[in-house]
Amino acid sequence: MSLAIPNGLDNSVEQPGQRAPLVLGDTTYHDITESVCQVAERKPSTGWVIGFLISFALLQWMTVCILYLIYTGVGVWGNRAPIFWGWPIVNFVFWVGIGHAGTLISAILFLFRQEWRTSINRAAEAMTIFAVACAGTFPGIHVGRAWLAYWLAPYPSLNLWMWPQFRSPLLWDVFAVSTYGTVSLLFWYMGMVPDLATFRDRSKNKFRRMAYGILSLGWSGSSRHWMRYEKAYALLAAFAAPLVLSVHTIVSFDFAVSQVPGWHTTIFPPYFVAGAIFSGFAMVLTLMIPARKMLGLEHLITIRHLDNMCKIILATGSIVGLAYGTEFFIAWYGQVQEEQFAFMNRAFGPYWWAYWTMISCNVISPQLFWIKKFRTTPWIIVIVSIFVNIGMWFERFVIVITSLSRDYLPSAWAYFSPTWVDWSMLIGSFGLFFTLFLLFCRLMPVINMAETKSTLAKQYHMSHSDKH
Amino acid sequence: MSENNEKKVHGIVAEYESVDSLLNACRRVRDAGYKKTDAYTPFPVHGIDKALGIKPTVLPWIVLGCGLTGTITALVMQIWMNSIDYPYIISGKPYISLPAFMPVAFELTVLFSSFGAFFGMWALNGLPRFSNPLFTDPRFDRVTDDRFFLYVDASDDKYDETSVREIYEQTGGEHIKTVIDDDSSDKIPKPIFMAWGLVIAASVIPLLIVLKMRVTNSESPRFHIFYDMDFSPAKDAQQGSTLFADGRAMRPDVPGTVARGESNYDLDFMTGVQMEKLSAVDPPRAERLVRLTAGPIGPQDGTVGVTEEKEEDSAATTEPKATDTTPWLTKNPLGTSEQVLRQGQKYFGIYCSVCHGMNGGGNGLVNRRARKILSPTWIPPSSLHQDSLYSDQYPDGKLFSTISNGIRKMPGYAGQIQAKDRWAIVAYVRALQASRNASVESIPEAKRPEILEKLEIVDQQLKEQAEAEQAAQDAAKATAADSK
Repeated sequence: MSLAIPNGLDNSVEQPGQRAPLVLGDTTYHDITESVCQVAERKPSTGWVIGFLISFALLQWMTVCILYLIYTGVGVWGNRAPIFWGWPIVNFVFWVGIGHAGTLISAILFLFRQEWRTSINRAAEAMTIFAVACAGTFPGIHVGRAWLAYWLAPYPSLNLWMWPQFRSPLLWDVFAVSTYGTVSLLFWYMGMVPDLATFRDRSKNKFRRMAYGILSLGWSGSSRHWMRYEKAYALLAAFAAPLVLSVHTIVSFDFAVSQVPGWHTTIFPPYFVAGAIFSGFAMVLTLMIPARKMLGLEHLITIRHLDNMCKIILATGSIVGLAYGTEFFIAWYGQVQEEQFAFMNRAFGPYWWAYWTMISCNVISPQLFWIKKFRTTPWIIVIVSIFVNIGMWFERFVIVITSLSRDYLPSAWAYFSPTWVDWSMLIGSFGLFFTLFLLFCRLMPVINMAETKSTLAKQYHMSHSDKH
Repeated sequence: MSENNEKKVHGIVAEYESVDSLLNACRRVRDAGYKKTDAYTPFPVHGIDKALGIKPTVLPWIVLGCGLTGTITALVMQIWMNSIDYPYIISGKPYISLPAFMPVAFELTVLFSSFGAFFGMWALNGLPRFSNPLFTDPRFDRVTDDRFFLYVDASDDKYDETSVREIYEQTGGEHIKTVIDDDSSDKIPKPIFMAWGLVIAASVIPLLIVLKMRVTNSESPRFHIFYDMDFSPAKDAQQGSTLFADGRAMRPDVPGTVARGESNYDLDFMTGVQMEKLSAVDPPRAERLVRLTAGPIGPQDGTVGVTEEKEEDSAATTEPKATDTTPWLTKNPLGTSEQVLRQGQKYFGIYCSVCHGMNGGGNGLVNRRARKILSPTWIPPSSLHQDSLYSDQYPDGKLFSTISNGIRKMPGYAGQIQAKDRWAIVAYVRALQASRNASVESIPEAKRPEILEKLEIVDQQLKEQAEAEQAAQDAAKATAADSK
């Protein structure tokens, strides 16, 4: 039960009539179990401990800032008239966008039978959930009196004597993001149950066995269970696919349904969705490339996986670039003075530096991926991905801040200056994200073992039948 | 076999090394007529449903039901909350505006369907199930790693241990074993049970405290976890402050501030009435006027509100009221100078001319517009060039009072024009009135030729204009006749 595929093989080369292998090396089912489980079973490396301590410290700093905010009031941010949305909403949209890659990989690529998703979907889904957790924090504390955030829920309130307003995109947003978070969590957890059972069956000490035993719900690998499980997985994928497209569409409605120049455009939903996938894949690559190296998973997350993800970045990055151009065209073509001003102001106004950072990171840098050499060189991919992440944060900055700072009332125009609390919360949200991600690497199966094994089985089946 | 007599035998299990040998064994078992069988694999093996004869699941129907429930729940919730129980009017849309309800309906459909798929799947699979006799065999741990197991249940009608063993052996099954009851306890360990109970008990306490607080009254002030803006950071009088150089929170008056009741203008100037005389004739009215003009509740310097009730009697403008015994000021306290007239002209232009016209004839832009649209409620503004408004019948003080307090449809302008500017308007109105009645003799000798010359030019222009209009009308009539 082994495959004679040399470890150094470049599986990014297309061979006519043959599918490129997605699992490299002389790998058996047991090897997959071993390589994934050792990540969680061995002692944490020094790098992990240092990374965790830094992330955890940042998370604690963010917690302190949130307490300070709640105690003092939203004036501790740089949010001033007319820019009331400020960085919290920039960060919210940034993180929600990042949270789009996981479910896209899990659901849409699953429905399109893109087998290469199997070894990256678990970590990408985890990233989705952690990114949504970061995203959910910001509107929660941005409501001003954060302890009354539950007023967003449609419950029969004896204090308010009224219901939420369901024609507002902000309320749609509450439903979209919370549904997305819930469904992603179910999808992620359900996918993990068979692998948690592997953890359970391998665990040596009683506590681990009990903990993973509870988490794996008594999974036995029964074929009847697998049949229903696969059906449920396909159904969840079928729901999650339109859901992932709907979430950023609805986030874009927060802007597009308003009258603010630069926001009031019908291009926003597709443009936001493309941008979200773009930023999500960039974040997946930023994390996966160091992780595959450090965790020793290079034969499972192969160059071909990276190559494919780079192609998606190139495609979505170009869509985003096209959207930037289209906005300018429509502003000119629409002949609305305020719209024209808003776009000229973006590119050449006081925030020109943010606009051109966005253009160079989002539109120019991914164009490197036309060249195969760049798509298959991990360190170049990491650099470009980080640029894309920076660029996508600036995209949200440009949209939120430039439009609000100069809208219809010139006497109210202002320039936005972030405070140290704004900075701390942006950096602290990365602390939250990385704390959760590093914990995930230690405690949960980082690669979907069951699915990778079935990919291997197919691969074996094919190479076996070739011989006949 | 003796040990198995005491414990219940659940079935028989065999281990296989590859998918192919497992599938082969599955087919053999199925063909032998066994129904209560199952295969255990580390990943979903395709084709095994057929090999074992597993029927398709009803899960999709459960999910469909959940999805429809989600859609209906969302629509009913939104329509009830926003259209029936608490109707909102948003952007002039109908109360039940379905397009706006779609996003939430979509989200809840997905949410409910996902719950259906997730929980439905576990329920149909009979999970979570933490005690499984198969797990008693340590070899079975490899089911989640790299081994494949086939199992036949003892409750199957055709169950026969020896023939099952035979099939297993023929198809390459290894480690064939009977599955017996798990003799270890399936109870939750006591310490965990206790800890769990304690956590639940402890989590109920805060809720109980909150509930008690909500239903009982207390004399002590409420405990503020969150301030909810209950405490204003504004400073009280006499408190100190670090914001200002003098360290005081109270600020001195801005230079030029006039406190209420301390106006420097005299009352006659503010009301247009000779107050001393009025006090003798009509003390209550004088008192009221003083209170309204200079008292602590009244406006100062005519900057806010009205100083006296609006005069409603329209007869006042046409003929002197027999009962008007008010001792009005007969002379403008500002006098007449070019500066005063220029000031009056400016304010007349701003405030009065829109209705009364630039020349005071009563045909301003507003009047013209009102007549054009045939406004039924419009009362035409008075011409200022009528005998009843001349100073002998309508004293300056009364004109001042009318500007200040309004008359008929005309609102009072005390709130918008300062008293001295109102007096300037009075002076300008008098000048306008004089312009219609001036004799040549009233013009100073030296300026007479110049003004007469200008007059002639104006007369000539007016004449030409009238002729041109007449010609235009004739031409229009002619073309109208031609087209008929």
